[in-house]
Amino acid sequence: MTKTVLVAGAGGVGKTTFAAAMAVKAARAGVRTLVVTVDPARRLASALGVNDLGDEPQPHADEEDLWAAMLDSEASWRAVAMRHADPEIATRLADNEFFRAASEHFPASQSYAAADQAATFVQARAWDLVIVDTPPSGGGIDFFTAPAQMADLVGGRLLRWITGGPLPGRRFFYDRAARPMLRVADTILGSDLLQRVSEFLLDLRSTYDGVARRGREIETVLREAATLVVTTADPAPVAEAVRFYRQLPDLATTPAAVVFNRALPPEWATATPDPGIPAELARITEQWSAETLRQADARDEFSARYGARVATVPWRPNPPTDLAGLADLMDSSDGIPWSNLLP
Amino acid sequence: MLDKRLVIVSGKGGVGKSAVTSGLALLGQRHGLRILAVEMESGGGLSAHFGTGPLEFAPREVRPGLHAMHMVRSDALLEYLSLQLRLPGMGRFGAFARAFDALATAAPAVREIVTIGKILWEVREDRWDMVVVDAAPTGQIASYLRAPASISELVATGRIRSQAEWMAETLADETRTQLMLVTLPEELPTAETLETLEWVERTGIVSKPVVVANRVLEPVGATTTPPGMAGDMVTLHRSLVDEQHKWLDKLPPDLTLPYLFGLFTPGEVAAHISDDLEALR
Repeated sequence: MTKTVLVAGAGGVGKTTFAAAMAVKAARAGVRTLVVTVDPARRLASALGVNDLGDEPQPHADEEDLWAAMLDSEASWRAVAMRHADPEIATRLADNEFFRAASEHFPASQSYAAADQAATFVQARAWDLVIVDTPPSGGGIDFFTAPAQMADLVGGRLLRWITGGPLPGRRFFYDRAARPMLRVADTILGSDLLQRVSEFLLDLRSTYDGVARRGREIETVLREAATLVVTTADPAPVAEAVRFYRQLPDLATTPAAVVFNRALPPEWATATPDPGIPAELARITEQWSAETLRQADARDEFSARYGARVATVPWRPNPPTDLAGLADLMDSSDGIPWSNLLP
Repeated sequence: MLDKRLVIVSGKGGVGKSAVTSGLALLGQRHGLRILAVEMESGGGLSAHFGTGPLEFAPREVRPGLHAMHMVRSDALLEYLSLQLRLPGMGRFGAFARAFDALATAAPAVREIVTIGKILWEVREDRWDMVVVDAAPTGQIASYLRAPASISELVATGRIRSQAEWMAETLADETRTQLMLVTLPEELPTAETLETLEWVERTGIVSKPVVVANRVLEPVGATTTPPGMAGDMVTLHRSLVDEQHKWLDKLPPDLTLPYLFGLFTPGEVAAHISDDLEALR
């Protein structure tokens, strides 16, 4: 069976690099591994051997057992329409001016597309391990809630709200001037916008059965996956990590660990520089000691308060951009619960 | 820094947007200005930096002369409708507001104009000397800023169209409106900032943004390296400075804020940034 690891966390904490490093380590241990990533830095993408957006996993040229895929969320949204609607409606949807707006405005849609695609890779059973670098939308939690939100979106909720009643037939909109609420909308927005949007929503609704069924499959994949939360010791990412740690047990599984990235060597907390060194260097030493202490406090508080297993990944001045650097980053990490993460 | 009526603070997620917004709001407050700070995104960090509980749609005075609010789109819409339609009994509009909001999910720019419209309306009223917005991240800010222009293209008639025109004017007016882009000297935030700068230049929807680089390390003057752990620290510091400079050179930023070592609370961070901005004035 394919083991799935979902790597969650706020943007900017090094989540993508961490997911890549995990994948390199697993592949080098002989595990056939796919890493699925969204929006990686250019140099990291090329280290993984993927240079173009696309949904097809690519085998790495220099690393046996390592595969990578870089998701194009916009193309994936289109794929949702193509997969779940009649060809005629799918084409009409894909060409619709509101389709793009809906995919931009409905933040969970990118995450839905990513979750859908990731689940497809897991179900393909072509890899022993699939590591998913989850997209940052909605603070990152969207990836886990997207299947239900998406079904709700296309399920006619919007239409019911617009009409204030049961799902209407297409004819309804030609009689809409009879309804006071819609007349108000016309006054403010102009007369034909409402009708154009409503027709689009009717088309979108035809994807409902497919999206709902698929949503349940995706949820099964999420509930069978291991999860990890990545953060730094800075207050804002830690607050996000707390949110993840509390919500993931309901949405997927209890995180196997909270990974604190950019960790400084613990022994720096108590470093006392030689009295003889220049004042400037002494000050720098004090600053990094204080920073190390603050990091340790943040980790201790997290594990004491939430009972989380805490792991650390060291701070590298230059983020690794090749396989050797990624492998080294993982080798220098501490506390990663590998036995729960490898197949 | 304090002579604009509206400062919109954006940046990639995690760069310290809320910290800079709150620092700027505190700076204005210190200089006796009437300030409104707006938290635009749910889960925004503004309330943490002011050390208040969660903010609400109705502005609340968090320091003498400094009010803060959290943007709630449905509330902004209800307020708009009750002003526009001059109808009593806002409660009756609850269902309509939901319907409208649902509609806005699929209609380009309608959703954004409700939010940016509320902000611009606060600027137009004379209650504040400066409105400071902890705005959407750079990935989404363009759709808010271009909303008034998009509405004009999308909607041929209707009341919202005429309102969109003064909104677009206010945004483009360099004497009143300033976009501030917060960034970190790292690859992805720098790339996103450069993309946003290019978009602004191409569209002219707002005037030239101010770029603020956050968490910038001070270069080491000394050329020696002490032995032991202190040496490791100095070496890490130097390497980080070199890495940061690679990205700072590509921007370059108009203002830089220092890395804050060993600080614990968001409130402490906001106070420090406010002091640093004062020093930069």
